[in-house]
Amino acid sequence: MYGQSLLSNSQRATARSESRYRIDYPLVPTRGARVIALDKGAEEIVRKAASQQWQSAHFFALDTSPSCDSYIGSSVEVTLRSFDGETIPLNQELDSVDVVVMVATQDTGAAAANTIAAACTVRGIMTAGIIASTNADSTVAALRPHARILIISADKNDLEYLLTAIRA
Amino acid sequence: MLRAEVNEFLTQTGPDTKMGNLFRQYWIPALLAEELPEKDCPPVRVKLLSERLIAFRDSEDRLGLIDEFCAHRGVSLWFGRNEESGLRCAYHGWKYDVTGQCVEVPSEPSNSTFCQNVKLRSYPLVQLGDVLWTYMGDPEKTPPLPDFEWLHVPANQTFTSKRFQESNWLQALEGGIDSSHVSFLHSSGLHNDPLFKGAKGNEYNLKDLKPFFEVADADGGLFIAARRNAEEGHYYWRVTPWIMPSFTMVPPRGDHPVHGHFWVPVDDENCWVFTYDYHPVRPLTETELQAMKDGHGVHSENIPGTYIPVRNKSNDYLMDREAQKRHETFSGVAGIALQDASLQESMGPIVDRTKERLTTTDIGIVKARAKLRQAALDLAENGTIPPGVNPAHHRVRSASVVLPKDQAFNEALKVELSVQPGVRQASV
Repeated sequence: MYGQSLLSNSQRATARSESRYRIDYPLVPTRGARVIALDKGAEEIVRKAASQQWQSAHFFALDTSPSCDSYIGSSVEVTLRSFDGETIPLNQELDSVDVVVMVATQDTGAAAANTIAAACTVRGIMTAGIIASTNADSTVAALRPHARILIISADKNDLEYLLTAIRA
Repeated sequence: MLRAEVNEFLTQTGPDTKMGNLFRQYWIPALLAEELPEKDCPPVRVKLLSERLIAFRDSEDRLGLIDEFCAHRGVSLWFGRNEESGLRCAYHGWKYDVTGQCVEVPSEPSNSTFCQNVKLRSYPLVQLGDVLWTYMGDPEKTPPLPDFEWLHVPANQTFTSKRFQESNWLQALEGGIDSSHVSFLHSSGLHNDPLFKGAKGNEYNLKDLKPFFEVADADGGLFIAARRNAEEGHYYWRVTPWIMPSFTMVPPRGDHPVHGHFWVPVDDENCWVFTYDYHPVRPLTETELQAMKDGHGVHSENIPGTYIPVRNKSNDYLMDREAQKRHETFSGVAGIALQDASLQESMGPIVDRTKERLTTTDIGIVKARAKLRQAALDLAENGTIPPGVNPAHHRVRSASVVLPKDQAFNEALKVELSVQPGVRQASV
């Protein structure tokens, strides 16, 4: 909208024609993401996402054990189970991770959420929670102090949106 | 990141594009009312959603928004004469009323009915608040008028401005729902802008530079909440509603007026930013009003007689590196509006989102994109009316509050996040 003679550096630099000179190379390494379903309903959501192609994301459910139903604030031993059936201690899985996403649809995983989120905080791992129902108040409360983001939503595709956005 | 085809999908709003069709479901701001101040005033050229139009107010005070070009030889009607209840082309005198109907073709015999068969495309134009609104969709599906609170308060409680932004509408909107940049880019404004300073909430903003985010669905879009540490056992929450397609309301600060934006695509590489300020329960003071007119707060200082900001791309936004060194501004650009615009325009006219590296804290942006795309697909495939068309979805407020740590914002603020006539906004 301005004459060529009035072009400023900003105007030159942001022209559409200059876009092709932006250097094209991988700016940031792929994030190591782990996705953990905290309950049976969440498992469906996570399993669906896991069926897609991802760069580095790994997907887990909680290994069913009585301790996973403990109340919020309690310290529980968390073991993860991959969708191939392999069981892995939480601490081992967090060794090379940048982001942990927890998914919940109810409160049965609140205590596990507390343990996982606290473990992530200690390790400086970015933590996110997706709450795909209105019946998970205790899980929300467990995650809130730790999770840098909480999504409270009825949209079961939020997990895939998030993982795609962060190139997981 | 987005795939290239999704980026194109979301950023193209011309006729017969899916996002263009989505925008054409809503009443959108077209002009400020001050641009057509009186009967038979000069017509105004308007480009919206990649359509070139002309707006005018006729001798009977009727508002019109019609195709800019005469049906005869394609001359711009901006050169026309607005008189005697119509806009007459300056070339051969063809005349059109506010509906675009040709009412006179001087070269035809006096008893000719030829002009009855000539009609330019037209859209309704309605004044609500300080804004002239249009609806560019199917006339048979015209929705009820917008019902945002700032449109209904007395005239002395509100002020609206607009500015031209040289970027696609989506990257401008995305800035509006990204609360985390405030503590950096706008940090100086929290100290010295007359429409921001002095609020207790500013202290929380400046002390805690790593907010946590919670996003919850709203009927018309999203509530995006940023949470920072406050006093022991409490969080400071700033909750921004986003109503589809492109309306946001910034969380308030103290008793300052509440402000926000409506981003409207001009074409795929430019947009209008309509910026409102209002106070729900009291008139704006003279000082506040003058500050808004001078471009403080989220308004812009524009080149007189235009809506082009004084600080713009052609002059490097009057970058002041010394002011940046003195910490008077964080980026060297003065004014909150142009601090945003300078960075958003620096991305290029349409940012290449295949190259971006989002983090989880960009979830508000991620969700908004997903909702827009899904709504546009649902409209295209099933004719589903998108969120944000229903005026009930407009009756929202932003809020800034301190809550005990065990309270969820969306539960604790159910009342505060909706319009309560005669009640002050929830703000610290």
